[in-house]
Amino acid sequence: MMYGTKAIQLVKEIANGEKGQLTPFSSDVFSEVIAECSQHFADLRSLIRKMQEAGLDVETTKNEDHYGQLIHHLSLVRNKRCLMAYMYNRAEILRNLVWKVGSEIPEEIQEKLSHSEKEYFKKHSEALKSYMSRVVLELAVDMVPPKDPYIKVRVLDDMGEVELPSDNTANFARHSMHFLKRTDAEKYISLGKMEELTG
Amino acid sequence: MASYYDIDDILVEEQRVPVAFQQAVNGVDIDPSAETHCVEPGSKVELPYWLAHELHLRKVAKMKVPACFNQRTKLELGADGASVDLRSRCLYFYEFGCKIAPLVGDRDMGSFLLSAFRTRYQKILAKAHNAAFTAHSKLLSYLTKEETNLYEAAQSSMAAFKKWRIGGPRFERASVLGRKRKEAN
Amino acid sequence: MAGQSDPNVSIFSGEEVEFMAEDEMVEIVPNMRMEPLNMLCGDFGPFYPQMATQVPMWLAIALKKRGKCTIRPPEWMSVENLTQILEAERESQAAFQVLPFHYVEISSLLFDYASGDIPDLYMVRSLINDIRDARFLKVESSLESFEDARSSAVKVKNLSAMEVNVVRPFVGRALQAFYKHGSPDLVPNPEAMSARRPQATDNIQRRPLRRR
Repeated sequence: MMYGTKAIQLVKEIANGEKGQLTPFSSDVFSEVIAECSQHFADLRSLIRKMQEAGLDVETTKNEDHYGQLIHHLSLVRNKRCLMAYMYNRAEILRNLVWKVGSEIPEEIQEKLSHSEKEYFKKHSEALKSYMSRVVLELAVDMVPPKDPYIKVRVLDDMGEVELPSDNTANFARHSMHFLKRTDAEKYISLGKMEELTG
Repeated sequence: MASYYDIDDILVEEQRVPVAFQQAVNGVDIDPSAETHCVEPGSKVELPYWLAHELHLRKVAKMKVPACFNQRTKLELGADGASVDLRSRCLYFYEFGCKIAPLVGDRDMGSFLLSAFRTRYQKILAKAHNAAFTAHSKLLSYLTKEETNLYEAAQSSMAAFKKWRIGGPRFERASVLGRKRKEAN
Repeated sequence: MAGQSDPNVSIFSGEEVEFMAEDEMVEIVPNMRMEPLNMLCGDFGPFYPQMATQVPMWLAIALKKRGKCTIRPPEWMSVENLTQILEAERESQAAFQVLPFHYVEISSLLFDYASGDIPDLYMVRSLINDIRDARFLKVESSLESFEDARSSAVKVKNLSAMEVNVVRPFVGRALQAFYKHGSPDLVPNPEAMSARRPQATDNIQRRPLRRR
């Protein structure tokens, strides 16, 4: 099998996925790529050792062993790029997620993340929170230009008694309708627990 | 210069290129016809671009023009550029061409890519803003990745405009959560 | 801040363009008495019944919704003027008529919130729709004919905010592709090489940004 074939699977997973959507973290393929990297490293080292044992200058000799090293080196670089791109593009989706759903990861997303991604999400949302409290601005509200301070909503998920950011409490029974502060409702709507009613 | 993390750029560089080895190489498994872990000088192998071009630059192997840029494709594109199925030849036709051209010393490749793109671009533009997606699925199945992106850019901004015109809820469920909810209703 | 509502797309959403249009001034006739409003964006009022005054669109709409004023449609929204513009739009295949930068959003806001204040509402609405459609068609046909193989810019005068916003993602991408495939590294052309220097002087004649 051609070198880097496993790694390109990860990249294709990102490319073929729907834009902005997460797929479950491919830990199996990921560790297979790491294993291929270790193999390249071992092969590279044994080729170097072979030249050293023959008394050749590793830095200047351009023989078939040198070119073998080159190919293993290039494969390592390639595999690394694929792994990094996989992590980077997923991290980007996670960073956007903080703005949409706040600091708690919804269950359906949680199960798609690796351990380090969960950690990353937590730290990123903490950093964002502490920044917002330092500048005394709630930056994640009004992501869509606001019209009215109050909007009409219908509850889609039974939530019971809920304390709202504006310090009021409300009873959100399924299918009940409410006239809420826009900033109170925004998070529930983006989590899919309410919908906005217009007209 | 594409970003290090650019998914499309990584996929462009995965495209296969035929090369002929000029040097012997030891301790690798890249020649499927070889019985040992070696490549003999003169061996002809298809390698992904990321490997081929580095070997080409170091004169370990010599790159040849990949099949998707052969004379037949050039003739077909010259005759009726808009209806050639480029997608099946190379999903990254233009990007790949741009990377290959300076290496294989094909002086015509640039103007060839440009004129192909220009003819096809007009057709994409004309279709994109007008009718429904499905009506042009045949066109879509011919397009390269970049052409599809263009088509979708035109479509989605027009759709967004129409949605704004109609009005309706301004706040919506975050798209990253998927579409599960609608089915439950 | 472009495309806040969708981080992956580098356009403004319709809602965002509309939000910007809401800063445009419009004339209202209040039916109540109110002290001046001193805001970050300026001072408006005082308000007296039947005394016309200028306020930003967003304020006009807020007052209108509460039944505190009528909005005077801007002069360009008259049937005579719009008929003339539509004719001129249809006559010329290339040129775009001069309309307010936010004409699409302003008219749409007025139709939504102050339809009762617009004389000949039905005519005005259909004229504006026709003008918009005629212009969109023209934008498209002007994009279809990039005359110069090496064009890396396209000049279309008098486009409005919403029109630019709709074509921006496509045009941006397409020009990028033209630029990339036409780059001198790929297309050997002695003319392009020698033409490089004069290009720098061309840039000096760049038109100032449109004032709004």
